[in-house]
Amino acid sequence: MIATVQTKEPAVAVKMAFINGKPYEMREGETILTFLKRHLGEKHIPTLCDAPNLEPFGACRVCSVEIARQGNGTPKTVASCHTPIEEGLMIYPDSESVLKLRRNLIELVLTDHPLDCLTCEVNGNCELQDVAAKVGIRKVRYPEGKTHLDRPKDLSHPYMTSDLSKCIMCYRCVRACDEVQGQLVLSVAGRGFDSKIIKGMDQSFFDSDCVSCGACAQACPTSAISDIYESKSVVAHKKVRTVCTYCGVGCNLEVKVNGGKVMAIQAPWDAEVNAGHTCLKGRYAFSFYKHPERLQYPMMRKNGQLERVTWDEAYDYLAKRLIEIKEKYGGDAIAGISSSRCTNEENYLMQKMIRACFGTNNIDGCARVCHSPTALGMQRTFGTGAATNSIADLKHTDCILIIGANPTAGHPVTGAKLKQKAMKGTPLIVIDPRRTEIAKYATHHLQLRPGTNVAVLNMMLYYIIQEGLMDKDFIAQRTEGFDEFREGILSLNIDELEAVSGVPREQAKAAAITYATAKTAMAFHGLGVTEHYQGTYAVMLIADLAMITGNVGKPGCGVNPLRGQNNVQGMADMGAQPYQGAGYLDVTDPAVRATYEAFYGAPISDRVGYTIPEMYDAALAGKLKALWVMGEDMAQSDPNTHHVVKALSSLELLIVQEIFMTETAKLAHVVLPGATFLEKEGTFTNGERRIQRVQKVVEPIGESKPDGQIIVEMMNRLGYPQQPYTAKGILEEISQIVPFFAGVRWDELGNNGKQWPVLPDGTDTKILHQGAFKRGKGRFVFREYVETREIIDYAQDYPFILTTNRVLEQYNAGTMTRRTPNVQIVHEDVLLINPQDARSRHISNGDWVRIESARGECKVKARLSNEVKPGILSTTFHFPELMVNNVTSDVHDSIAKCPEYKVVSVRIEKV
Amino acid sequence: MSRNLTALAARKGKGLTNNLFERIANLAQENGTTDKEAMARLADEFLIGKANVYGTASFYDFTRAENQGKKVYVCSGSACLLAGTQDAVRAELSKHFQPHEIGEMCCLGRCHENSAFHLGGQNYSAKSAVEIAQIISGALTDSIDDYHVAHIGTPILTGQFPALDKCRAAIAAMFKAGPEALLQAIKTSGLRGRGGAGFPMAFKLEACRKAPGTPRFIVCNADEGDPGAFSDRYLMEHRPFAVLLGMLIAGYAAEAECGVIYIRAEYPESVAIIQEAIQALTEAGLNGDNLLGSDFGFHFKLIKAQGAYICGEETALLQSIEGKRPEVRVRPPYPAQEGLFGKPTVVNNVETLANLYFILTEGGEAFAQIGTQQSTGTKLLSLDSSFRRPGLYEVDMGTPLAKAIQTLGGGFRRPVKALHIGGPLGGLVPVHKISDLTIDFESFAQEGFLLGHASIVGIPEEYPMVQYLEHLFAFTAHESCGKCFPCRIGSVRGKEMLQKAQSESYKIDWELFNDLIETLAKGSLCALGGGIPLPVRNALAYFKEELKPFFSAYGTGRISAGAMPG
Repeated sequence: MIATVQTKEPAVAVKMAFINGKPYEMREGETILTFLKRHLGEKHIPTLCDAPNLEPFGACRVCSVEIARQGNGTPKTVASCHTPIEEGLMIYPDSESVLKLRRNLIELVLTDHPLDCLTCEVNGNCELQDVAAKVGIRKVRYPEGKTHLDRPKDLSHPYMTSDLSKCIMCYRCVRACDEVQGQLVLSVAGRGFDSKIIKGMDQSFFDSDCVSCGACAQACPTSAISDIYESKSVVAHKKVRTVCTYCGVGCNLEVKVNGGKVMAIQAPWDAEVNAGHTCLKGRYAFSFYKHPERLQYPMMRKNGQLERVTWDEAYDYLAKRLIEIKEKYGGDAIAGISSSRCTNEENYLMQKMIRACFGTNNIDGCARVCHSPTALGMQRTFGTGAATNSIADLKHTDCILIIGANPTAGHPVTGAKLKQKAMKGTPLIVIDPRRTEIAKYATHHLQLRPGTNVAVLNMMLYYIIQEGLMDKDFIAQRTEGFDEFREGILSLNIDELEAVSGVPREQAKAAAITYATAKTAMAFHGLGVTEHYQGTYAVMLIADLAMITGNVGKPGCGVNPLRGQNNVQGMADMGAQPYQGAGYLDVTDPAVRATYEAFYGAPISDRVGYTIPEMYDAALAGKLKALWVMGEDMAQSDPNTHHVVKALSSLELLIVQEIFMTETAKLAHVVLPGATFLEKEGTFTNGERRIQRVQKVVEPIGESKPDGQIIVEMMNRLGYPQQPYTAKGILEEISQIVPFFAGVRWDELGNNGKQWPVLPDGTDTKILHQGAFKRGKGRFVFREYVETREIIDYAQDYPFILTTNRVLEQYNAGTMTRRTPNVQIVHEDVLLINPQDARSRHISNGDWVRIESARGECKVKARLSNEVKPGILSTTFHFPELMVNNVTSDVHDSIAKCPEYKVVSVRIEKV
Repeated sequence: MSRNLTALAARKGKGLTNNLFERIANLAQENGTTDKEAMARLADEFLIGKANVYGTASFYDFTRAENQGKKVYVCSGSACLLAGTQDAVRAELSKHFQPHEIGEMCCLGRCHENSAFHLGGQNYSAKSAVEIAQIISGALTDSIDDYHVAHIGTPILTGQFPALDKCRAAIAAMFKAGPEALLQAIKTSGLRGRGGAGFPMAFKLEACRKAPGTPRFIVCNADEGDPGAFSDRYLMEHRPFAVLLGMLIAGYAAEAECGVIYIRAEYPESVAIIQEAIQALTEAGLNGDNLLGSDFGFHFKLIKAQGAYICGEETALLQSIEGKRPEVRVRPPYPAQEGLFGKPTVVNNVETLANLYFILTEGGEAFAQIGTQQSTGTKLLSLDSSFRRPGLYEVDMGTPLAKAIQTLGGGFRRPVKALHIGGPLGGLVPVHKISDLTIDFESFAQEGFLLGHASIVGIPEEYPMVQYLEHLFAFTAHESCGKCFPCRIGSVRGKEMLQKAQSESYKIDWELFNDLIETLAKGSLCALGGGIPLPVRNALAYFKEELKPFFSAYGTGRISAGAMPG
């Protein structure tokens, strides 16, 4: 390690400091503690208030060492955690005086700490216990005095617990809440000996604004703050490292397992994605996996009822029926919907089965309803439909732009990182109809009318061009179509755009200047961009913003979609779309088809298949007869529910692979029990193209099987020889057909995975489009703002605009999170309504409100909030029994066909 | 320290314009403590979380819940304690107030005449029972105190301060000569900080000036909390322009454009006088942008503290101004690099800054001529009521302590056995050591004491030393911010042991007590926990016979009671 540094930077002379008189190489800017840890090992110097992800604090003083400067002989005692190393410094880390000081310090701590170690939750895993043992405490000599041993426990929360009688006041929890999560829920009250940790205004965990990320519990060296799973101390037979199943951030998890059961989950410190941090979903909301409602055996519809069958019976039936349908109606009468919840390998197999076994391209996935416009828009502009940069680039950025995303709720760990930057003053532009949590920290919050992203982005582009803030060299060398684009932009009528968007031009201009003048600016977007009539165009304009300012292909910039599902990136990469196969290769291209045919050993259709909305239409038209669904609940999550259910009900054969009996599964002819992420192996690809290993933690429940295994077994029944499901084997196969997976090997992914493209030699890629775009030149395309049909047709009769949003505690339709204690924190959907609107309609907090659109109606409880402007409503959608999708529209993105969930014309009344 | 809270306080409150700390203090104005709903609103406005507003409010004597309903405060400082006047004051006040309406304030700076209390935003001292009744009824409002002021040598600080017109000319000349010349003069003067540490001032100014980031700040630490000292109070109340112009001059040298003076709430008169003086400076064109037509601007801001001794520690002081809990920060980063609101900042004591006008007008060389080689200039002494002529005196550095006591103080009014010099964390000088000391940093350090603020409190012959030590530990325990382990726990354990030894047959384990002192001295994060061992060691060394009965095996095993500074 040291040698590498030296060879890479030969010009830098090595500086030395001394430990007990012996010289050791030092690094500029490191603390004495870091220096000592590097040379003497992590545990040599005892510490209590120090933690790997927190800034030096200097409270416990246990890390004290003696130092002397050369030529100035008298040694001085300093805390090594916050004292910088100096060249030539003499350090005595274990002198008599230091050892005694440490002993005396711990003795003082023990005068106000219970000595009931044997019955303590963290016995054997307590840092205070470890340090006390290390420094050698035999007895506490102080006479009995004042203590805080009578502090009551706080067991108010479904996850978080505290017992402040065990608190040693190291402030690690307070600092974790501040420096890691940025929630500022914890602080200290009082002063001196009587100071104590508080939640909010000295409230309980449950009553405070705690978001249950668990960073404090993981940080606490004792059991003063912990959780119901006793995560940091529970003794496990094994610890398995895997990847979270919830959002696209891709947090690494360390799962503790005992007797085939998951005991607790913690965040590994060395995880590049989440370094010791997760949100409450990743850390605590895992109990769904053993919920009594898990599907545990295959079922077939007999006499109108779903009945338990054996796997053989199910497979035989399916093989027979699918072959019949294929022979009778042709392969195009069969379709598949893949799952962004499943692994890359499973998605690959799913699309392979549809394409190779049935000879059709009728394969799509839930990305259709979320980020399909991102993939398409970025492919058309840059050549690749994936995040250009890495989240770690936040370290290097000078400006952040967040459009249509609510990362603190939807992508909590990335959200926390963004919030940290914004809190510390990095300029932040938020374009969102709602005053989201992150918007509160924004320099500019452009609170536009839902559906007008294109108008606002065009305004920003207008001012960048008008103010001459373009990166002319970048435009000249790396892009095409700029002149036409420029002409289009300058011809815009700003009065009109200002009026339709509701964003004052001065604000748009100020934001444009902030973005364009930053040395590097990093854009993030979410479903508030894509789930619109002009979703793809909005994505292209974000890409244009990046290109016009030269913010592509270097650290700290780019266009970075916040991918919703854990593996929505991977699902698309693996070819779960009707026009592109594995690796985004165009199936209508004969050369590509030839490659696929040779590799799969089967004929591949040259026709572009159905997208999900087209599948419904085809089913209703009698053209689609069989649909195989893997881990997707369209009957709840797709818009215009009536239409969806009608289409699914008209199928001859509906096959659903699921973990719970969802609304879609209830309509199925065959239900196959799949396995959760804890019960299978494979890889997930996160929103920054990072392919990470999912490791099997426990055995699948009942007779359930990993979804990939189900597909493989089915393929073999259909007469296609497919190798058995192992992550290693299937990944190897993928690497041979997906170009950017060329160098991906299961055994080489390590703990932190690799970011694609991975070259044949195994080198991965942190930043895309360096030097040149994937498509050669970046392509500017001018698009004007166009009002959605939804507003044009219905605004008169339905004057409110309803948009949708998420909460941190629930995930999508709640299939998983609602089967965990998370429901004790959030147990219902709410409709955000501006107090002014509420007043005029006599609606108070908690009232039921009927929402009516041209399609149907639903009822939601009102919450008065200034987060939305008058005329705008926003509802969460985690409790599908409210049937919010009864009202959502059937307008889709004009190109990618993503439904416009985010703009619905409605009227409301108090029930 | 929380970088997030610093940045949010700077941004949402624009730092000083809408100052978070003042907003929290204002919430407590009405009923003596802060209201939870109002705190929640403030938290939302600044985006800092309810816990942080609550945490800050609960820290200070005058904003915490315990302060609710307090109407009158009795001084609990060392000088009043040793003079034994406060029981009578309390008894007198109890005739007019309920027990829960009577609070304590630690040192109102009336050490020269004692019997001090605080009522209705004013301080009173040495009042008779009749007068107290009149004060309460509103018949008597005169709160001004009187004390001797004199000097030996050059009256840099106690001499007549020129009229503002003359000052304007001097400042204009300073702008003409430029900041380098000024900084050079300050370097030449050898001026060292008067707050206790004796750090060369020019060094800080230069470091701040070179540090990147604007605006830079000059912070005047007028949180003189050392019981026994009233020299800063004297300067603020009688030489306000010396203090304020000192800040302006320092600002020019460090290229800082903001000057914050943070004054103890326990000094209401100082607050009022400085406020008026700032107004006068504004009118004289010495507060604002482009002073006297130059391109240098300087903006004064007065912040009233809320009762926490620890705010005299510079990093805690900065945290306080930011509205955070005034917990001591680790260094580095030093304030000159990353100080108030994360910007380069110089923190200096009142007396230090008050010297700058002399250096500006008379030159650094003239200043360096006064005093000793290493301790240049003069020093203010606060003599308490144990002297025949209590008061505020200025002596050239290097003046023999005995001479000051005799010629200025007129000797002792009552028999004393030791002098506590330099505040509660200063050394305990037994009377026989007085003749060994001259008033300068080096002499005190060499003899195992500390010059500090040079406040001098006499410990009466009959006052039990063990009780005084208990008082010192109690003071430290009460004022400890609670951040570092040794001070938070050790101060309480020290107090408990001393208490127990007086009330029970318990004997303090000599080795344990020495371990505790050593732990405090070596382990503490700041000079509060780190400073308390000095007077304690002095006492153990010089009052062995008196203290011996309270200890087991006094002085055996290992001798560390020598008069060594911590």
